[in-house]
Amino acid sequence: MSARDKYEAVIGLEVHAQLLTSSKMFCSCPNVFGAEPNTKICPVCTGQPGALPVVNRHAIELGVRVGLALNSTIHPVSIFARKNYFYPDLPKGYQISQYEQPFCTGGEVPIQLKDGTQRGVKLTRIHFEEDVGKSTHHGHGTRVDLNRACVPLIEMVSEPDMRTAFEAGQYLRALRNILRYTQVCDGNLEEGNFRCDANISVRLKGAQEFGTKVELKNINSFRYVEKAIDYEIDRQVEMIELGEVIQQQTRGWNAAKGTTELMRLKEGAADYRYFPEPDLAPLEITTDWQNEIRKQLPELPQQKSERFQESYGLSPYDASVLTAAQELAQYFETVTNLSQNAKASANWVMNELLGRLNAASVEIDQSPVSTEHLADLIRRIDSNEISGKIAKTVFEAMFATAKAPETILNEKGLRQISDAKQLEKVIQKVIEANTSQVVEYKNGKTKLLGFFVGQVMKETKGQANPGVLNELVKKLLDSQ
Amino acid sequence: MLTRQEVLKIAQLARLSLTDAEVAEYQKRLGRVIEYMKDLDSLSLPKGAFVRHVPLDAPRFREDEARQWPDREAIVANAPLAEENQFLLPTVLEKET
Repeated sequence: MSARDKYEAVIGLEVHAQLLTSSKMFCSCPNVFGAEPNTKICPVCTGQPGALPVVNRHAIELGVRVGLALNSTIHPVSIFARKNYFYPDLPKGYQISQYEQPFCTGGEVPIQLKDGTQRGVKLTRIHFEEDVGKSTHHGHGTRVDLNRACVPLIEMVSEPDMRTAFEAGQYLRALRNILRYTQVCDGNLEEGNFRCDANISVRLKGAQEFGTKVELKNINSFRYVEKAIDYEIDRQVEMIELGEVIQQQTRGWNAAKGTTELMRLKEGAADYRYFPEPDLAPLEITTDWQNEIRKQLPELPQQKSERFQESYGLSPYDASVLTAAQELAQYFETVTNLSQNAKASANWVMNELLGRLNAASVEIDQSPVSTEHLADLIRRIDSNEISGKIAKTVFEAMFATAKAPETILNEKGLRQISDAKQLEKVIQKVIEANTSQVVEYKNGKTKLLGFFVGQVMKETKGQANPGVLNELVKKLLDSQ
Repeated sequence: MLTRQEVLKIAQLARLSLTDAEVAEYQKRLGRVIEYMKDLDSLSLPKGAFVRHVPLDAPRFREDEARQWPDREAIVANAPLAEENQFLLPTVLEKET
């Protein structure tokens, strides 16, 4: 038993998601990514004296949408609070957030475990806050761009409910999925509109008390989430095994080195001197408003996955892959409706299409193979017009050229030969070239049927219709 | 009177470095502020009284419509130091972004 097996990790995640609004949280500046520095600023988001914040109604709707999708409790009254700290990217000297009374508590995020079963990761709370500016450090000073200051955010805090890096990764994927389904956030870690901090501690298995937690920041790629958390768990176990004391601190993930590094010793909540924001009235979310927002909720990933299993007979795994993104689910469903063959549609999408799209870094809604073309291909296989083998060749060409199966079959001369006369000619030729095998066949070695079929297939470059061919070969051999 | 450690902690949160003499001075001065807060505590106010500056008839919400502020350059020009249309500040922390 290795040292690590004696311990278990306790992981909680804090996710910040930028809301897909047109304007900022408390002012009318455009909420856009990648604009020239300081072109989307005004007196409110730069903290000019006397400028007052006013809440963006749509930002509240988007936050409530997430809360409802996660079966959380939406509170009719919540309070904005000032979180005070001193940092250049925070022009007011405080961030408007929510503290003692967030708008949303409880709920859970369903995640899929390795064995295919599901469990819910409990949420502590969701609250609104504003994003801060962006600072870049140069030799002679720090430059500050306030375009991002005041962009609406929700912070979603999980309970310390995860025990492995894999679970944390699944939680993040599931959460992103829901945010994208509900059109609340793009969920793009790389562009920073979906950001994750992990609180990680370790303890001896069976222990009741939590160990000292370390906050891990800068996990800005899905590829690194599990790696970064695993690294941090190993680091803490190693320290404890050496008799060292874990300090409460903030560490950053360094992707280049594959390690975590000390960023700062953590401020405690008391250091932020939270107090109710006097410039904003309490946030009221009436039941009527909630119900209105609930009506706009789309079918969510889990509901869709269950429906796919029931209506299309998909396995839980296949259903979860195909509902991972809304666009993918829609693609699959359209192909299924057009082809009337759910199983084949699922197989083609998962086994042939997704891998190629990933390799080419193309999103499903930009797929060179349209839903109509893929459904057309599946129908041709089902009606025995083409073999599965030819279909794969056609599919490859469809992906490369975006052309219709019909066009490719014509261009490549890949049509299946079902015409008996045409096939008989080839079979006759094969029989004449293999007289000794014909004699063996006639003497009872019927297994040789496969040999003749294979030879004809070779001659026709795989284009012979296998059903028709089998019958014809048998008929002609028997008549010899 | 605040302890030396309390003053140093507050200075660290404000990213300030203080001389020993300043620390001693602030132990006294900040101590007086805390004493004044104790006076306020002795007032009988409703529990959790929420001090608000928003007039009751102020709009609770705005619609989500984006508008460019016309005078953005003036905001940057207002800063003591600017460079390439960005605010320029002394670097206080190296590692954070």
